[in-house]
This record gives sequence, C-alpha cells and structure tokens, in this order.
Amino acid sequence: MLKCVLVFLLTGNVERFGHLKVRPNFVHMAVGSGFAAVIILSHFQLVQILDISALVAIIFFNLLFVFLLFPLEGTLLRKLALLFAGNIVGLLWYLIQLSLKEASMFFLSTDAFTIITIVAKPLIDFVWIVSIWSLSLSVLASAKRKTEGLERS
Amino acid sequence: MIFTVLVALIVAYIIRHYLFTLAALYHKKEQLPYSAHETEYEPTVSVLIPARNEEHVIERILQRMTELTYPKEKIEVIVIDDASTDRTGKRAKKFAEEHKFISVVHRGIEDGGKGKPDVLNCGLKHVSGEIVYCFDADYYPQRDILEKLTACFRDPKVGAVQGRVTVLNEPNTLVTRLVALERTGGYRVDQFARDELELICQFGGTVGGFRKSLLEKLGGWDPNMLTEDTDLTFKVYLAGFKIKYVNHADCYEEAVEDWRSYWHQRSRWAKGHMQCAFRHLWPVIRSKNLRLKEKIDGFLLLNVYFVPIFAGLAWILGAALFLLQPLSWTKILWAAMPISFYSSVGNFAPFFEVGIGAYLDGRNRTYWLLPLLFLTFMFNMLICTKALIDLCISKITGKKRHAWSKTVHNGNGNHYIE
Repeated sequence: MLKCVLVFLLTGNVERFGHLKVRPNFVHMAVGSGFAAVIILSHFQLVQILDISALVAIIFFNLLFVFLLFPLEGTLLRKLALLFAGNIVGLLWYLIQLSLKEASMFFLSTDAFTIITIVAKPLIDFVWIVSIWSLSLSVLASAKRKTEGLERS
Repeated sequence: MIFTVLVALIVAYIIRHYLFTLAALYHKKEQLPYSAHETEYEPTVSVLIPARNEEHVIERILQRMTELTYPKEKIEVIVIDDASTDRTGKRAKKFAEEHKFISVVHRGIEDGGKGKPDVLNCGLKHVSGEIVYCFDADYYPQRDILEKLTACFRDPKVGAVQGRVTVLNEPNTLVTRLVALERTGGYRVDQFARDELELICQFGGTVGGFRKSLLEKLGGWDPNMLTEDTDLTFKVYLAGFKIKYVNHADCYEEAVEDWRSYWHQRSRWAKGHMQCAFRHLWPVIRSKNLRLKEKIDGFLLLNVYFVPIFAGLAWILGAALFLLQPLSWTKILWAAMPISFYSSVGNFAPFFEVGIGAYLDGRNRTYWLLPLLFLTFMFNMLICTKALIDLCISKITGKKRHAWSKTVHNGNGNHYIE
C-alpha cells in the first residue's frame, strides 16, 4: 500500500500501481513491524545500561530489516528468526563494547576505549548492521533458490 | 547547528535511495515497448568508438560490432584513433578494410590526447546516422543492444538513451568485485528506479545514444568538462527532452583492477561531477521544462559527489560534539552516521540498494562483499575532498581545461568471452 501511495505521489499516474509485477508481502511486513516494535520496546528497558545512540542504531537496523527484507519472498518464521537473531547480535555488540569500556576504566583508569569507540562509531556500528542484514538477505535468497529448484524438479 | 544540517542532508539521500530500492523491487511488468525483430522503426545509427592506446581491447569490440543484429546497411561504426602510440590504429584499420560499415578516423599527435569529449566531437563531424551511440573501446555489448536502445526513440520526447553496464572482469581482484557491486546498485536499482519514477536518468558516457539533431543543437560534448556525460545529461533535460534507461540493454565493461587506477578514475568523475554541479544547479532549479520532482532529484544528483565530504565533516563534527558536549540529541544524530556511510556517490549506492540489486539479479554469493563497501566509501571520501580542493584551486587560478586521466585497459577480461 505504501508503495502504491509512493508511486502515485511521485508519478501522479493512478494506472501504474495497478500493474505491479511483484507485490510486497504486506502481511509479513505487518507482523514484522509488530515483532520489531516489541523488541525495540524491550530494548528501551535497557536504556539505563545502553547508550541512546546504541538504541537508535538498533531502531535503524529494525526499520531497514522490516521494510526491505520482510516484503521479499520467504517464510515468515525464517524472517522473524533472522530479525530476532540480528537484534541479539546488536545487543551483544553493544554490551561487549560497554563491558570493554568499563573494564578499561577499572583496570587501566583511562577513557581511551570510550574515546576510540566514539570516534570510530560509524565504522563499528556499520560492521554489525551491514553484516547481519547481508547475511539475512543471503539466507532468504538461498532459500528462494532452493524452493525454485524443487519446484522445477 | 552545522552538524544537524549535515546529518539532515545525508538522511535526505538515505530516504531517496530507500525509495529507489522500493521502486526497483516492485516495478511494473512491462518496461519497454520492444519486441524482437523490430521492423517498424529502424533509423540509421552511427556508433562512435573513441580509442587511445586500446590495442588489447579494440579488436574485441569491433568483432562484436560485426555480430550486431541491427541491419548493417543502416549502421556505421566510426573508430576515432586518438593519436595512439600502439597498434590500435592498425588493428582498427584491418577491420575497416574487411567491413564497409566500419571506418577509422586517425588523429595526429598535434590534435590528439585532449580528452574524450574532443575525440567524440571529432567523430561527430563524420556521423551521418540519425541516432548517435557511444561505446568505449573496452566494452562488449549484446548483439541486439541497438534494437533495444533505438526502440525508445519512437517517443519524440526521448532525447537520449542509456543501457546497463556490467563488469566483465569481476572475479579478477577485490577492486573489480567491489566495482561490480557498485554497478549493480547504480544501474539495476538506482537508474532503473529513476526511470520508473520518471526522474533524472543519467547518461553514463557509454552504452548510450542521442538524437543527432539534438546533439548538434546542444553543441556536442563540452571539451572543458571532465564528465561530459553528466553535462550532456542535464543539457538534455533543460532542453525539454528526457533520457530513457533500458535495463535489459546490457553491455560488459572492463573495470579498473587496482586502487591506483580506481583513484584516478573516480577523481576525474568527482571533479567533473562537481563542475556540472556548479554549472547546472541554478538552471535546474529555475528551469520551466522540469517538474518539481525532477528538480529535486536533479538537485540531489548534482550534489551527490559532495556527500562523502559532508559525511566526513559530519563525522569530525559529531565526534567532537559527542566528546565535548554530549547532549542527547547529538547522540541520536551521531547514531545516523553508520547508515549515512552508504549514501550514493555517482554510481555507488547504499549497502541496502546494492544488496537488493544483487538479489534482483540472483547474485547470491556477492552479499558477503557488502560489508567491504566501506573501503570504497572511505576511499571516496578522500577522493571527493581532494577533487573539491583541486577544483577550487583551478577556479582561483583561472584554469579552464583539466588534465584527462585515461583509464588503462589490459584486456584482462578477454578470456571470459573467448
């Protein structure tokens, strides 16, 4: 529906969105959105521990995942499992960073690790977001190929 | 304040590319009114092949020209040998002797070596076809590519066409694999979506063509511009025409294989694109021939090579603000930076755009390379920053012509075809 509205707004051509070849899986998107919302809200419970920027990065990841991967072909269960696993990896990523930061403060009495993580933040965050997203896309694409192969045989 | 503005700009590009990704994923069934063995519309076409020291690849493309399915009586191929010091001229001449529709124009040392726009303008003087196509010497098109591209010219509003570019020597090095990914995002998703959404499709300098009458009216290729293709793109739109992108008109290219060549090539693209931004930004905004969405897309397209500079500045400012004055809003905006590192630069695209492009192409094994795109982005941050500095220095010193850095082609992709 969003795509239809977007195409209409951008092209002004009502006829176009009646001929879409591939329709996004809106049901999966709706379920994925709900699931992502639950995960994000549970992350908010950890706001005392996690940085605000970590929470925002996790929200970004969920948005990209739900709106770009959930509409694709594939079973709902697989998509939910990948989304859940991605969020767990993200959470662990930030918890490990936090642990290293606290450990360096305690044992080395220095803020060096904090400064390094702040300066290199874009690269550090990018590593897990893109890796998990790419891996998930790869899993969905491989499953799609296997299904197509089985259908042909 | 500056940090907020920079992040807002970057987020605008992210949204733009997200919309492009959606448009490419859910396109309509029929893209073009093209049918095989098209006989209704077959104008005479001229194919220009500029070549300077291309002895390793010139035979490959000329052999391909002889295999094209477009009627030979309606096609002429003009090779412009631009003062080559190797056997390019001899090898091209051999083909010209065997095939009447192929001819070679030789340029001497005094006339040659002034850049591709100059070479193409020289070739344009010899053109007799109604449609003029350009192919770089290292390219390898489909046999029926001319039919696919020419069909678009049945629409009188179409002034130019652009086909798709795919990397031939992709498996050779890491650089070629990353360039192949960039091409996938840039053509399969970016250009495709811009055509689908009726925005500004870009002429890429090769695998494309123009109406000869329009090209002459626009004054041909500007020899002072390093990216004459981008310059012509905007001239076409400002003249009231449009460019059509044809995704299934595919052509292989030989991509650069090392980081040094990548640097030189992208430096030229960055400088040239910035030149176009300075020249066309205000005319695009004021133009009565462009709709609002075309103006917005044109504005974003022209400024796309400034985005890595914005990202770099935002990174420095954001880190400084975060360390010196850690307010909550800076933390929130700072979190936008990882995603912003995938903003488009010319043919490049955000990681999700590249990923979806690979998905649409069925290229399952390339997803593992997506995280490495940050290498090209970091590289491009340096390239674009240097390009802007060089351009500013040129403006101050009054230098109009810039040195043309030619990409060397070794024919390393030939064995994939033979």
